[in-house]
Amino acid sequence: MDINKEKHKKTNNLLILNGSIVNTEAKNTFKSDIVIENGVISRISKHITAGDFDKSIFKVIDASELIICPGFFDMHVHLREPGSEEEEDIKSGINSAIRGGITSLACMPNTSPVIDEPFLVEYLKMRSCANDYNIFPVAAITRNLEGKDIAEFGLLREAGAAAFSDDGRAVQNSKLMYEIMKYAAQMDVLLILHEEDYSFSEDGVVHEGYFSAAKGLEGISNLSEDIMIARDIILAKKTGARIHFTHLSSADSVNYIRLAKKEGIRVTCDVTPEHFYFNDEYIKDFNTNFKIKPPIRSEYDRKSIIEGIKDGTIDAIASDHAPHIDAEKNISFNEAAFGSIGLETLFKASITKLLKSEKIGLEKIIGLISAAPSEIMGAEKNNIKEGRQANMSIVDINCHEKYTKEMIFSKSKNSAFLNENLYGEVIYTIVNGCLRFINKIKSQGEDFS
Amino acid sequence: MSLKNILDIEELNKTHVLKIIESTGYFKEVLGRDLKKVPALRGKTIINIFYEPSTRTRTSFELAAKRLSADVINFSPSSSSMKKGETELDTIKTILEMKADLAVVRHKDSGFVKYISEHITIPVINAGDGRHAHPTQALLDLFTIYCHFKRMEKIKIAIVGDILNSRVARSDISLFKKMDLEVFTVSPSMLLPEDMSYFDTKNFECIDEIIGQCDVIYMLRMQFERQNKKFYPSVREYNRFFTLDFKRFNNMKEGAILMHPGPVNRGIEIDGRVLDMEDRNLAKIKIGEQVGNGVAVRMALLHYLLSQK
Ligand SMILES: [Zn+2]
Ligand SMILES: [Zn+2]
Repeated sequence: MDINKEKHKKTNNLLILNGSIVNTEAKNTFKSDIVIENGVISRISKHITAGDFDKSIFKVIDASELIICPGFFDMHVHLREPGSEEEEDIKSGINSAIRGGITSLACMPNTSPVIDEPFLVEYLKMRSCANDYNIFPVAAITRNLEGKDIAEFGLLREAGAAAFSDDGRAVQNSKLMYEIMKYAAQMDVLLILHEEDYSFSEDGVVHEGYFSAAKGLEGISNLSEDIMIARDIILAKKTGARIHFTHLSSADSVNYIRLAKKEGIRVTCDVTPEHFYFNDEYIKDFNTNFKIKPPIRSEYDRKSIIEGIKDGTIDAIASDHAPHIDAEKNISFNEAAFGSIGLETLFKASITKLLKSEKIGLEKIIGLISAAPSEIMGAEKNNIKEGRQANMSIVDINCHEKYTKEMIFSKSKNSAFLNENLYGEVIYTIVNGCLRFINKIKSQGEDFS
Repeated sequence: MSLKNILDIEELNKTHVLKIIESTGYFKEVLGRDLKKVPALRGKTIINIFYEPSTRTRTSFELAAKRLSADVINFSPSSSSMKKGETELDTIKTILEMKADLAVVRHKDSGFVKYISEHITIPVINAGDGRHAHPTQALLDLFTIYCHFKRMEKIKIAIVGDILNSRVARSDISLFKKMDLEVFTVSPSMLLPEDMSYFDTKNFECIDEIIGQCDVIYMLRMQFERQNKKFYPSVREYNRFFTLDFKRFNNMKEGAILMHPGPVNRGIEIDGRVLDMEDRNLAKIKIGEQVGNGVAVRMALLHYLLSQK
C-alpha cells in the first residue's frame, strides 16, 4: 500500500488547467480547472492558481485546447485471458484500453476455460485489482457456452460477475431462453445477448447482399439477427428480464428495439464503431480485417444505425475488441477468424463518424461511451464530480491522422480501421485517480516521470 | 492497358476482352494445324496449383502451355494434410522457390486466388475460386458465341440453373453484360442470390417462358457439391421446369445454340437423348466445341501475360 502510494505520488496529485469538461448529464461542456488530490477530485473551479500548489507534489497538465471526458467504459471486450494469451492478455488488454482512454471494461467469458465457474470470476477480479484497473467480468449464460445448461447465476453474481453473456454464441432453443430470462429476472442480473440464428448464419462469412452475390461469398442474412431480437423482445416482455443486445447490425433490429422501448420493455443495446462506420462494400477486396460477426452490413443498415444513435434507440457504443494473431487473419477470407480489435479506436472512430460526419453533439457521443454503458452495467455512473475518484480521459478532438499498425498497443493488429484517417486523440488517461497514459507525441513533450 | 493477372472479369475492360478474343482466334487456327505447337513460350515454366481437383480444367491449361512450348509443373497441395494458418503461406513460399513464370490456381474458397496473387510476384491466372469467379471459362464461352454468331451485341442468352452457387454464372453474366449481350436467368428462388441487383437480370421460373426467344441456351451444372443445404425439392421437379429435354431442344429458336460448361449431369441439366445427338448437330450443340476453345483461350491468356514487357 505504502509502496504504491510512493510510486503514485506524482501521478495521483494533479492540476488540470484550462480544460473543457464534458458533462454528459447536463449535455454541456464548460471551461474549468480540476484539482486531483490522492486520486480524488477535490475541486472543480475556474479560479485555481497554480502557484498555490507545491510543484514537487502536483503535476500540472495544461489542458487548454483539450477536452476532459469522464473515463470511457467499454462494455464488450475480449481480453483472451485465460487461454489465448498469444492474442491478448489482461495486462496488454488494459494497456490497449488505457491507450484508448478507456478506464473500465467488461470482458466476455468465451475464454479457455469459459468463465462459468465462480473461481474464474474471482480470478479476473483479482487480476483487475492487481493491475489497478476496473474490469467487470461477464460470466457465461450457459455452461461452457453450449446452450444447454444454465450457469449458476447466483453464485457467479456473488463472485463478482457483472452480467451474463454467451457472446460468440446464441441460445437457439427458445424454451431454454425463456427459462434463462425467468431466472435472470428473479436474480435481477443483466443478460448481454449476441443474437444469431444459426440456420441463417452457418457457413456465412459476410453480409448477404450485393457484395456477397458479387464476390461469391456465403452470406449471413439480416434475418439471422432480426428473428432472435424479435424472439427475445417477446421473451423479455413476458419475463421482465433485463436484456441488452450487443453489436446490433441490422436496420430492422433497430426498429424492433425502438418499438420495444416504446412499449416499456426493459431492453438496451449497443453498436460497434465498425457497424456505424463501414458498409459491406469494404469486403470487396477480401480484406479479412472486415470479417466480423455480425457482419458489416449494407449502407441502408449503417444509416439506420446512425438514426438509432441519433434518436436514442441505441444506448451505448462498445468495441467488441476481438484480437487475433496474424496467422488467423492473414489467410483466405473463408478461413479467417471473425473479429476486429477496437479498444484504441472506440473513441477515434466515434469522433470521426459521429461528430465530424454526422454532427452529433460531443456530449451525447461521450455519454454513449462513458455514462451510458456504466449505467447499463450497474456500475457507478462515470462522470466528473467533486469527491469522486478520478477516472477521466483528456482528449483532443481536432487532430487527425492515418491509423497505422505501428500505433497499436494491443498484442494483435487486426483492426478494420487501418489506413483510415481518424479524428481525435487521447492525450492523458487517468484510471482510479492515477495518471496512467501520457501521449508523448501529442502532449508537446511535457516531461513527466 | 496491360494486366498482370487474370483474377476476375471485373478487372477486364472491353478492349482487353476484344484483344483476348482476337488472339484466341489465332491460337484456334494454330490448334487446327497438323503441327499444333508454336515456340512462343519456350523456356517458360507454368505451375498449375490445384487445391481442388479438376482434371478437365487442369488438363486444358496443361495442354495450352505445352502447345506454346512452355514447361508445366502440376502441384496439388492436398487439403487433408493442410493445417490451419501457416500452411497456405508455406505453399506460397514453395511456389516462389520453384521459380515458375506464371501460376494457375484453383481453390475452393472465394477470394483465395487473389490472396495468393498478393503474396507472389509472378502473374496468376484464376482457374476457379469457390463460388466467386472462373474468368477463363467465361472467356471461352464468349469466344464460342462469337465464333458462331460473328457478333456479340444484342445476342440473347438464357443462363439456366444454379446461379447462387456457380462461379461460371457469376463470371459469365459479368462478361456477357460487359460485352452488351442480353442476359436472362432461369432459376428457382432458392438457387438465386438474395440480392440480385449485382446481376441485374430478368429471371424466369421456367425455361419454356423464354426458350423460343434466345440465341443461346446456357445450362449450368447443378452444383450439388456446393449446395451444402439442399433446398431444391427434387430432380423430377427440376426436370419439369428446367431440364433441356427433347421437346425443348426442338422449341429452341432457329439458329440458336446450346452450351454447358461440362461435365453434364445427364438427365438433370440436359436429357441424355439430346446429348447423344451432338455429332449430328454440331452447329447447334456447342458443348464439345467449348472444350476445344478452352485450350485456345488459355493459350491466348498465357501468351498475353508472359509476352508483355
Ligand atoms: Zn458477439
Ligand atoms: Zn464479442
